[in-house]
Amino acid sequence: MDTEDIELSEEEEEITAETVLKTLQIAWQNERLAPEILPHRNDMVECMLGQIQHMERNINKLPKTDLRASIHQMELNRIKYIICNYLKTRLDKIEKYCISIVNDEKQRMESGMNYLTVSEFRYAQEYLLNMENHLKNTVLNHVPGNMQSFEMNKMAIYPNLQSHIFLKANDTINGIILEDLLGDHDEEIDLEEGSQHILQYKPVAELVKNGKVQLV
Amino acid sequence: MDPYEIEFIGENRIVSIIPNFSYDKIYLICGEFGPFRAGLPMNVPLWLAVMLKQKQKCRIVPPDWMDIEILEGIKEEEKKSRFFTKMPNEHYMVEAKLILGAANEDIPRAAEIKTIIKDIWDIRMSKLRTSMDALMKSGGSYGRLDHLTMMEINSVKPILPEAMDELYRIKVTSRKTIPATLNSSTYSQSGTSQNT
Repeated sequence: MDTEDIELSEEEEEITAETVLKTLQIAWQNERLAPEILPHRNDMVECMLGQIQHMERNINKLPKTDLRASIHQMELNRIKYIICNYLKTRLDKIEKYCISIVNDEKQRMESGMNYLTVSEFRYAQEYLLNMENHLKNTVLNHVPGNMQSFEMNKMAIYPNLQSHIFLKANDTINGIILEDLLGDHDEEIDLEEGSQHILQYKPVAELVKNGKVQLV
Repeated sequence: MDPYEIEFIGENRIVSIIPNFSYDKIYLICGEFGPFRAGLPMNVPLWLAVMLKQKQKCRIVPPDWMDIEILEGIKEEEKKSRFFTKMPNEHYMVEAKLILGAANEDIPRAAEIKTIIKDIWDIRMSKLRTSMDALMKSGGSYGRLDHLTMMEINSVKPILPEAMDELYRIKVTSRKTIPATLNSSTYSQSGTSQNT
């Protein structure tokens, strides 16, 4: 899915910088508010970084005191903030849920539906390796032999997909099933376009990923 | 999210200014704005309006809704309605705070406007607290929140979602301890599916 998008953004002239910025901003917002890591939008990040470089070259041609230079500079700083915060949020999640993300990602890579970029995946693996070495050096190597094995999966932390989130529907979506834990009548709800709700993340996780709803 | 981040998002809204200088069109990444003609109103993003105002390069035109009569109407409506009414814009509080903060003198009757907007906010927040209370008492795991603005939603984070998470946890444990009927099998399914 993602390689396709990269090709699209490079080949099709129609996609404007404005659209890229909007997409990126929504991706940032969703990433900030979703409990789990979302599919990366590296295509958008790369495209925007290119725009920023281009713009910075142009600003350098303007005299420092030029009002336009400071306006452009301010806009670039705003965009850089979004990009940095977006990437940092993802890294925070990668560190926190490292083991589960690496495991899930390996499965996803088989089907070509990877959520992490190549460098994010490398980061996750190295982080995991460093953590393992650290634990071995500080503790495991100094305890009796029969307790030395490092059981990685027992240490895995999983994001709480049952946590409640606020969302706004971008489209009308019918038939979201809300599980009823105590009684046995699961509730079915419809999300009208533009409506806002609070509910568990899990039943709408796919809708967040495909852009049908947006977290707020 | 931090309220400043909500403000940051709200700053992308378009507002009208009257510049006191002339310039060609400016091509920003978020769109093109201008040309700037001294004395003629034009649209720019709020962050740019505030920046130009701080440099004393423009006056900010009050948004249509920043008007005593309109706001009085909204306030009455909000008082009467059991539900949240639709606000004139998604980020009314951010817009009001920034415009009234940076360009107080450009807004006629700014002090009164400030008070009314604050009143509207207070009415809505107390409604929000009442409905949160009702939602929790009904043991709800789902609520509909139309017409609440992002800043308002953010003000009940993390308390509301976390309270609902906690309620969910209590339900899960009580379900586990109450007679292990058919339900327990569905629970263990939903418990492990997290890991996939």
